[in-house]
Amino acid sequence: MKVFSILLYLVASSLSVLGDELTRANQQFQAKDFNGAVASYQKLLAKEGPSSVVYYNLGNTYQQLKQYGPAIHAYEQARLLTPRDPDLLKNMALARKNAVAREQTGRQPWLDAVLTRLSRNEWSWLVVGASLLTGVVVLAYGLITYPRRVAWVTAGICAFAMAVGSTALYLRRGEAAHGIVLTADANVRLSPFETAEAIATLRPGSVVSLGAKNGSFQYIQIPNNGLNGWIASNDVAAITVENLPPQNFTKIKD
Amino acid sequence: MVNSYNTKTFRLPPIWQILGLSFILILFSSFLHAAEVEATLDRDTVAVGNGAILTLKVSGARVAKPEIPAVPNLIVQARGQSQQMQMMNGATTISVSYTYVVGANIPGDYEIPAIAFTINGKNILTQPLKLKVLGSAAAQPPAGLSGAPPNNQSTAEETEDTSENRFGFLTVELADNERKHVFVGEIAPVRIRAWLPSDSRAQLRSGIQPEGKAFTLHNVSERPQQTQEMKDGKRYTVLTWFGGVSAAKAGKYPASLSLDANVAVRDTKALKQPRRRMGGPFDDPFFDSVFDQMSVPMIQKDITLQSVNQDIEVRPLPTEGRPAGFTGAVGNFQMENTQIPDSWKTGEPQQITAKIAGSGNFALMKAPDLTPEDTWKTYSAKNEFTAGDEASFSGVKAFQFSAVPRKGGAQNVGLTFSFFDPIAAAYKTLASPLQGIQVAGEDIVDVEPSAAPEVKQPENMAPGLAGQHARSSPVKTLVPLVSRPIFPVMLFSAAGLCGLGGILILLRHRREDPKRKALIAMEFATREALAAAGKCATAKDVPGYFAAARLAIQQRLGALWGQPPQAITMAEIHARVPDDSPVVRFFREADLHEYSRRATDEVLPQWQALLAEALASLTPTAR
Repeated sequence: MKVFSILLYLVASSLSVLGDELTRANQQFQAKDFNGAVASYQKLLAKEGPSSVVYYNLGNTYQQLKQYGPAIHAYEQARLLTPRDPDLLKNMALARKNAVAREQTGRQPWLDAVLTRLSRNEWSWLVVGASLLTGVVVLAYGLITYPRRVAWVTAGICAFAMAVGSTALYLRRGEAAHGIVLTADANVRLSPFETAEAIATLRPGSVVSLGAKNGSFQYIQIPNNGLNGWIASNDVAAITVENLPPQNFTKIKD
Repeated sequence: MVNSYNTKTFRLPPIWQILGLSFILILFSSFLHAAEVEATLDRDTVAVGNGAILTLKVSGARVAKPEIPAVPNLIVQARGQSQQMQMMNGATTISVSYTYVVGANIPGDYEIPAIAFTINGKNILTQPLKLKVLGSAAAQPPAGLSGAPPNNQSTAEETEDTSENRFGFLTVELADNERKHVFVGEIAPVRIRAWLPSDSRAQLRSGIQPEGKAFTLHNVSERPQQTQEMKDGKRYTVLTWFGGVSAAKAGKYPASLSLDANVAVRDTKALKQPRRRMGGPFDDPFFDSVFDQMSVPMIQKDITLQSVNQDIEVRPLPTEGRPAGFTGAVGNFQMENTQIPDSWKTGEPQQITAKIAGSGNFALMKAPDLTPEDTWKTYSAKNEFTAGDEASFSGVKAFQFSAVPRKGGAQNVGLTFSFFDPIAAAYKTLASPLQGIQVAGEDIVDVEPSAAPEVKQPENMAPGLAGQHARSSPVKTLVPLVSRPIFPVMLFSAAGLCGLGGILILLRHRREDPKRKALIAMEFATREALAAAGKCATAKDVPGYFAAARLAIQQRLGALWGQPPQAITMAEIHARVPDDSPVVRFFREADLHEYSRRATDEVLPQWQALLAEALASLTPTAR
């Protein structure tokens, strides 16, 4: 019992310390010390791990600094965790509007609304949860006798959830390689050299698909546009670190 | 009997009835608007072979295309028509413009007579117009259409066409045409228009952006309205956005805005190459454009459309008559729905709510003041704005703030709110009706509410930015489950559970199979019968042996033939089993022993061998 109490105290005190740090960062934000707040939020992320609230607050701080690329990047990271947060969606829309960087998914708006209702992580859990529940229902039906109708209805609902979730994950598969342009007027070049011809200029906050890296350049493709080329690695950042592209020339899958 | 749905009359829901009625009224109001006709020439003097633009504009009515009366030596060429719809204060006006190029090949003074329109059975005439046609040496620059002579290389039109304006330009104007100024702090509605040549192709590459620092741009509408309009004799496709501008300093400043676009226009240099005249009915300068336009190449350019030379005067807010409670709200507002609790206690805070509706700079609006001020302590308010239109000029702002009474007893309290009305150019103060409340407790000098609800301090945010969040719940990774190695493991686990469950279901089905159950029962009964036969053989009970052995064989036959063993008769056995089979031979031996009453005191070994052979012939493998 004593050990449990000590553990509880340690957990509570560590949470309290982290809460204090977030409060301190928020106070810096309110005192208009935006650069200090950015440093505090980033320190908090490094120490505590990914947090929707910290990413959201960080995005707001960047937006106050009119750094719309990093702001949208932070918001996108927050959206991976809390895709339905109204404050987050509102501020991200504001940042995109200010940056004149529209999000183009190439899908019908209603379909986009359905697909982004849940994050990719939530869709994944839906598929896994439905699969496991189906397994449990089948196993239970094999072990004990209960109405066949209950088993069929449950299995049917699970199958529907698996189908919807798998379709959503398939349609959003390209997002695994998405990145955000961080700087204003980032040049897209024909080849990975400073002297190469610039074929386009991207607004901060633009969404791109990341490909291979070559030196200090990153191969990118603009979704639903067909434009592709090389951009300085410092000008773009991946939203997550999943499916990191290899360090050589490979074509982007989608 | 009549079905109920046949007796019901179909009725639209009330909301659709109201919307439908409104639509009909709007449509009807456009026809009720007084009809007007107007004829204008963009210039009164042209050179020989050049054209002036004649525009006939009909507002508030629909008419057939007018006939231009014939004038000797005057050439009139129709250039098309355009239609504009304007909605203002609920009234809709539709106007149609017919455009012509008018000119002559012989110098002289010409008069375009009054042109008649028949509207609602009445004849309405335009005013006559005069056009002077000069010899080529004395001509003024022609209109901005293709009536220019091919060899006129030094006209103002060319100068204009080689400038950036040939790709289009921006204009900014206050949405209220009667106003020429705004006040400091006011968010004034503006109309931003991008004028693009009508025969161009354009792709917008950015939104509207402010260029200077004098004005701040607010809430520009997402999608522009598109119309066709004439300006300086040239036809344009006009994209119109609505938004608001505000200024922090008084003075006269240019309203500089810009818009990045990719515009493709016809190469007028190519158009100006002289067409070789071959004679014939169409060899007239006025027909040049018809043929030339077909083959003129397009030139494309990334440009920044800019508004220039458009100043807006910003006036300071008057200091005279400024109410003490004025906090910067500029617009036209009404106070609605205030809520003040009836019962209070000194030193204890309660919430007061108020809603301010109207149009103006809601961003600078602060909560109304609670009066009398000296007997209350109030705290910063939380607020929520609900926009009433796309540009957020109008709407409702709801305030909620904590107040602590410092004086006990009965009081009459109310809320006051002051703002500056830019139309009336005067300050106004709104006051809610006074409300009688009862405050319990003693008067206090300084109130520090220990249990005051947490009030979020106002943050100096960018307009429209939602505030910071306070509670963090970190996770281990941003990588979604689908991209983690555990994802396929979990799916395989689910598949394993399904497989295991399937096997169990199959086993249970097999266990509960009635045929299988019957077979097992038969085997059990057969074993029991054989055991009984064995006991009888040991006890030298010959009749008992044959009875038990006969039952064992009947059990096997019953299982094979799917009928109760007791129902199987000797006649049926003879009918279905060959005579030389061990089954028949055993039954015959049993009958012989039973009916012949042969004296035998023991079960002979050959009988036991025959029984074993008969049973073996009835096993599934034997079959």
